[in-house]
Amino acid sequence: MSHQWGMVIDLDRCTGCEACVVACHAENNISTVGDDQAARGRAKHWIRVERYYEGDFPDVKVKFMPVLCQQCDAAPCEPVCPTFASYHTSEGLNGQVYNRCIGTRYCANACPYNVRFFNFYNPAWEKPLHLQLNPDVSVRSEGVMEKCTFCVQRIKAGEIKGEAEKRELKDGEIQPACVQSCPTRAMVFGDLNDPHSEVSRFARSNRGTKLLGELGTIPKVTYLQKDSWHGAEDA
Amino acid sequence: MRSSCGPKLEAAGKKEKMERRDFLKLSAIGGATAALEGCGNPDHQLIRFVPEEDLVPGIATWKPSICTLCPAGCGLIVRVMQGEAEVVRNGQLGVIKMGLAKKLEGNPAHPINQGRLCPRGQAGLQVTYHPDRIKNPLARTGPRGSGQFQEISWDDATKQLVSHLSALQTNKEEGRLAILTSPLRGQRKSLVDGFAAAFKGAPPVEFAFLDDSVIQSANSWSFGHAALPTVDLGQSNYVISFGADFLGTWNSPVAQSIGFGQMRKGRPGQRAKFVHVEARISQTAASADEWIPAKPGTEGVFALALANVMLREKLRPAAAAGPAGALIAGWSEGLPDYAPEKIAAQIGVAAETISRIAREAAANSPAVALIGDAATAQTNGLFNALAVNALNALLGNVGKPGGLLFSPVWQSPPIGKPASSEDKGLAVSLEKLTERILSSPDAVKALLLYNANPVFGTPPGSRVREALGKVPFIASFGSFIDETSTFADLILPDHSPLESWLDDSPPSGSTRIVASLAPPAMSPLHNTRSMPDVLLDVTHQLGGDLAKALPWKTYDEALQAAFTALYKQQGTKTAKDADEFWAKAQEQGGWWSADEKPSPAVTGKHSAGPVRLDLPQFDGNPDEFPFHFLPFPSQLQYDGSLAHLPWMQEAPDPLSTVMWGTWIEINMQAAAKLGIQQGDLLEVASQHGKIQAPALLSPGIAPDVVAMPIGQGHENFTRFATSRGANPISILSTSSVSEVGSLAWAATRVKLTPVGRGKPILFGGSLREVPPELQHR
Amino acid sequence: MAQKTPEQINDDLLRPLSGVSARYLIIMACLVAVVIAAAFAFGWQVYNGIGVAGLRRPVFWGFYITNFVFWIGLSHAGTLISAILRLANATWRRPVTRCAEVITVFALCIGATFPIIHLGRPWLAFWLAPYPSERGIWPNFRSPLLWDFFAINTYLTGSVTFLLLPMIPDFALIRDRSSGWKKKIYTVLALGWIGTPRQWHRLEKAMQIMAVAIIPVAVSVHSIVSWDFAMAPVPMWHSTIFAPYFVAGAIFSGIAALILAMALLRKFLHLEEYLLPIHFENLGKLLLVMSLLWVYFVFAERLTSWYGNESSEMAVFWMTQRGSFSPLFWTMVTCNFLIPFPLLAIKKFRTITGTAIASFTVVIGMWLERFLIIVPSLSRKYMPYAWVTSPYRPTWVEITITAGTFAALGLLYMLFSKAVPIISIWELKWGRHEETVRDPVLARRDEEAMA
Ligand SMILES: Nc1nc2c(c(=O)[nH]1)N[C@H]1C(S)=C(S)[C@@H](COP(=O)(O)OP(=O)(O)OC[C@H]3O[C@@H](n4cnc5c(=O)[nH]c(N)nc54)[C@H](O)[C@@H]3O)O[C@H]1N2
Ligand code: SF4
Ligand code: SF4
Ligand code: SF4
Ligand code: SF4
Ligand code: SF4
Repeated sequence: MSHQWGMVIDLDRCTGCEACVVACHAENNISTVGDDQAARGRAKHWIRVERYYEGDFPDVKVKFMPVLCQQCDAAPCEPVCPTFASYHTSEGLNGQVYNRCIGTRYCANACPYNVRFFNFYNPAWEKPLHLQLNPDVSVRSEGVMEKCTFCVQRIKAGEIKGEAEKRELKDGEIQPACVQSCPTRAMVFGDLNDPHSEVSRFARSNRGTKLLGELGTIPKVTYLQKDSWHGAEDA
Repeated sequence: MRSSCGPKLEAAGKKEKMERRDFLKLSAIGGATAALEGCGNPDHQLIRFVPEEDLVPGIATWKPSICTLCPAGCGLIVRVMQGEAEVVRNGQLGVIKMGLAKKLEGNPAHPINQGRLCPRGQAGLQVTYHPDRIKNPLARTGPRGSGQFQEISWDDATKQLVSHLSALQTNKEEGRLAILTSPLRGQRKSLVDGFAAAFKGAPPVEFAFLDDSVIQSANSWSFGHAALPTVDLGQSNYVISFGADFLGTWNSPVAQSIGFGQMRKGRPGQRAKFVHVEARISQTAASADEWIPAKPGTEGVFALALANVMLREKLRPAAAAGPAGALIAGWSEGLPDYAPEKIAAQIGVAAETISRIAREAAANSPAVALIGDAATAQTNGLFNALAVNALNALLGNVGKPGGLLFSPVWQSPPIGKPASSEDKGLAVSLEKLTERILSSPDAVKALLLYNANPVFGTPPGSRVREALGKVPFIASFGSFIDETSTFADLILPDHSPLESWLDDSPPSGSTRIVASLAPPAMSPLHNTRSMPDVLLDVTHQLGGDLAKALPWKTYDEALQAAFTALYKQQGTKTAKDADEFWAKAQEQGGWWSADEKPSPAVTGKHSAGPVRLDLPQFDGNPDEFPFHFLPFPSQLQYDGSLAHLPWMQEAPDPLSTVMWGTWIEINMQAAAKLGIQQGDLLEVASQHGKIQAPALLSPGIAPDVVAMPIGQGHENFTRFATSRGANPISILSTSSVSEVGSLAWAATRVKLTPVGRGKPILFGGSLREVPPELQHR
Repeated sequence: MAQKTPEQINDDLLRPLSGVSARYLIIMACLVAVVIAAAFAFGWQVYNGIGVAGLRRPVFWGFYITNFVFWIGLSHAGTLISAILRLANATWRRPVTRCAEVITVFALCIGATFPIIHLGRPWLAFWLAPYPSERGIWPNFRSPLLWDFFAINTYLTGSVTFLLLPMIPDFALIRDRSSGWKKKIYTVLALGWIGTPRQWHRLEKAMQIMAVAIIPVAVSVHSIVSWDFAMAPVPMWHSTIFAPYFVAGAIFSGIAALILAMALLRKFLHLEEYLLPIHFENLGKLLLVMSLLWVYFVFAERLTSWYGNESSEMAVFWMTQRGSFSPLFWTMVTCNFLIPFPLLAIKKFRTITGTAIASFTVVIGMWLERFLIIVPSLSRKYMPYAWVTSPYRPTWVEITITAGTFAALGLLYMLFSKAVPIISIWELKWGRHEETVRDPVLARRDEEAMA
């Protein structure tokens, strides 16, 4: 059975801790750009935790919302890419072929979620920081676009393992780095083709919404909206 | 950016006379350095060492380890893969194929963090691979604090240390040896304590800016456990946090976050309410269902007001609170002085709100209250903590599911007989140590320093810097030059945690007995040595009784001894003998008891009478210094000890979204009144000093409070943290928490003066999902 | 005004081709210096990485794409306008067409470099072209950038042809009047033109076919340029009005550029007697129409966005209307309408100076328009958290390269005016001939002169 990888993010669980952000850096060889470049808006965080304040003092609430590539089924970043560097994989992922990218940055403009990040310079790891690099993930040169891949290297490794052992993958067997790290278990990853998988079940929740769903991008990430307390003053 | 090619020769030796043989050696090393710096292929110039045997290229293995970046003590698994590294072996630089740590994940089997990690834990990798790690033993060459050191050999380094220590022994001045470390646990602590005891030196002093002594004291008074609680959030129905940043930095954040997720959405149809009481929306408060900005220092009064309502409305029986309640003056009368109507103005919260919260908490059992961080860093911190303890007792949650639990803790057997501090009048706290050094010359003749950075972490009024300057000999075991270790005369760099034998016995986060253990996940990269090994080596070189007290050759032998003791006490069911127990513990990352069993309640120990209302004292006159100054631990840089990690600098702060810097957070309306705009550079002045930071406007902070993250403002802490932002600790008063004596770091008042435009580096664009200009139409 | 004899015309219009003045050399040197600076800036960018530009997330396009749209827009000065005027048989067009067509070719060449300059990896620009490669992959024909590639190439080919065809008789004229190496070159360029009726007939036919064919190509080019934006779901980009809006804007800026070029040529090449006030007056009227059309489009575009009140669009709308981009926005309106409208509408001001001033402001205004289409939308695209934190500012690299392209146009124009008569000699004569037929007095005078 082919897979359709998807994710559910429960905003009622997310505490904005940023573990997912750092886990993604560590897993995917995302280079830090330093203060000067960060000040120019060139920091790269494939997943970011959006923070919105609601209300005014003293009635203030805060909403955290982790945003990563939504792996849109109708991805606006794909048709605009002249070199097929941004393309759709057979498993419904939005693939990014770094060595095909010539750096038009068109895809990043077309992506409504602003989750595509550009290498304005060659990445640098001051020795021996380069030893932290994950050999399963290529590093990206200057002039190349990059973005969340749903940790495709982990997906592939899992699939190959399953094939080698001649068995179906277990639900939850493959976990992207961000999902793996999340202390509150706000993120769930799995196969949307399997109606019984945790991710499929959660995606059907009545709290489920799609980010900018009105644009028709058909994202594969479902957000479960923040809940409120329904209790009472007396039991 | 491109690095330029071409040789960059570095001073490779310190030979005065150059002979032909030396010249050949020098040029060989020079060539190697050139290759590393430039674009040549190092394979051609560098020596290749015999590769590590047990690795299959491209295949990852996962090895257990322990996160040492905060006191929570989460278990790690380390993804190790073969790679090529430039390393030093026996003083020789070369290339080796070795197992390299590539990724840290939570150890799924570990009871504390159950496979999860916080962002700091994820970044632990960068401690090992930090470009500014100390790679060789160093001897100071320049004046103290100048950061000028010279590389020396391990033989020379240990010889120097041994000679200083044996000089103390010869002169019968063993008591003039002091040891200052970060808080240690497990066998590492036993070893350091044992060394101090056997040497007859002063007992080691532990220092960390974020210490839990207030909570430990309060819990000891109220519940008989001098420990941080394990909070059973996952089963709780109502959670009130008084300032505790329990989802970020306080106590055992990962364990608590797991519980929080469970509490929110882990139980179908059941969702607890979370109320956060603090003058600023912290990362934890941001997840609250209700945020109550009570005035700083009124947390205890607030808690007792809640108790008053519960007692008055007979929502809970007064006797339920037991000794923890009885400790509070007026408890049996129903705390009339704390009626919401009486104290509402003082707390800055409407009486109705207080009553409502009390009723909700009483109605939604199990309900639990937490206190920590700024609420315990007021002069009345102990009162606040005792009041919250009484509230918890009244809520009937102590030792119960969904409440405050105390974990059974495994203590490594003590080594030798600990020195009794009272006998000798020796220092047990940093304040006492400082006092002792400053009071008489030569009171401390040698200081061993390990991972503590009090120069950064104490206010200037505590005179730590001055004291360190007076100690004739300081040896540091740290891996980095920081504000404190720059005072060292000798640096004997430790392995990084991933390169070390580690053990731990976390006091909270799980109600199992946890004894974490991990062999090195990778071989050392640099010419470093494990601190406990060096200590043992020095011990044996000094010989005598000292060597008898610490008989082990290496630290793993000491660990094995401790685990053999643990096996005899606990582990006989899980392994057939001590060896198997030891081997299995190494494999799974430690040993933990099968069942979750909180420690039984014991009656509190205290000598004090009933606890009366203690109001917070603030440093600075409100007319001159109109703002409360609220420093807060950083989710990423913690107490500043992680400011050197590029991942922790570039990850955006969860609320301000600031990267690579610091800021001062101020209420929007208050800022508007003062004509302060987003990004204006403000001078923040207390009676003790002034610093500058860009203003960030927020709706989530009280108008009379300004807040600033702890972590930046290092004078000297690697290329990534030095001279970046400002250190809020540097303008704090030395006010202390009454009865406990720890620093009341939230008790200083400040004034603000705009001095220009600042340059905060923000990752996030808008504060609001629907920005104001789009709201009114 | 005194009518010139054909010989005088030859002399006047071929004079600029021989010899260079000191003033010419000085201006030339200045322009070359700016172009070299721009080349250095580009080299700097390639060497260090495109990070030396001011681009940042989420403003991934800035000056370079602004310049791209601006220059492609400017290219509509020539071929399109000249084709329309030819088809409409506007007799006053004759001294104007060549300067116009030249602008097209040069502006296109300059504009077409920007999609390469702005690439993260410009050395791989050829991957945009479809060719059988070892990578075994075609470019993505669904990408508007590919459409640009084809449209611009087609338009360039067409424009070059359109420019070259009517140059053949003039090349032949120069060939016949020159010697040495010059003669050799112009012999090749003249393509064996000897002025037989068959040749004249074929030239006429070819010009007519080209004039008809080039109009849809020109319209398509700027439509496609607009679709680089309109195809992406970006607030205030994703608009059906964009194609005609861009085409109108292109013609608008094109006419302005043409008037400016003519005013400068008239002054520097002493063509006072060929480029007459009537030419400026007529082009000025056209510019007036386009200014009104432009205002209409801007109004229609803004009105529908504002009335629709869609929050993601309004974020961009208010940013330009009264936010940080509003000074630029109102400058644009001033340059494109408030100044040119009175200058062009009131007959008294529709002089050479008046139209030139109006054109100058329009060129500035239209550059701003392109900038204001691109940057604000990207600065505030959907998710407010991802809005730009530090506003886009061009760096010296972008500014130098931009300046360099203006200098390049001047340089190319100056070189061209040394190689080819900037006014089509035979067309001018042809026009005079037609007039002569109608004006017996003139005819007699010509005869006397020739005798
Ligand atoms: N494409 C291609 N592939 C080939 C061949 C080819 O011609 N072309 N040739 C084939 C042939 S004939 C051979 S023999 C193989 C060779 O294949 P490998 O055996 O992989 O040969 P090397 O890469 O030379 O060496 C392996 C590693 O041994 C390490 N090493 C060096 N000295 C010692 C030592 O004393 N002890 C230990 N434990 N390790 C050491 C080196 O650092 C090196 O990393 O390759 C085969 N594969
Ligand atoms: S979120 Fe953006 S980058 Fe990801 S598939 Fe959708 S459009 Fe493409
Ligand atoms: S930047 Fe790269 S991936 Fe994006 S559209 Fe251009 S070539 Fe394609
Ligand atoms: S799925 Fe992988 S690549 Fe995507 S955000 Fe998570 S960790 Fe990063
Ligand atoms: S790790 Fe989980 S809880 Fe933390 S910010 Fe990411 S999604 Fe939210
Ligand atoms: S809470 Fe974070 S920093 Fe502390 S031990 Fe756990 S993973 Fe490490």
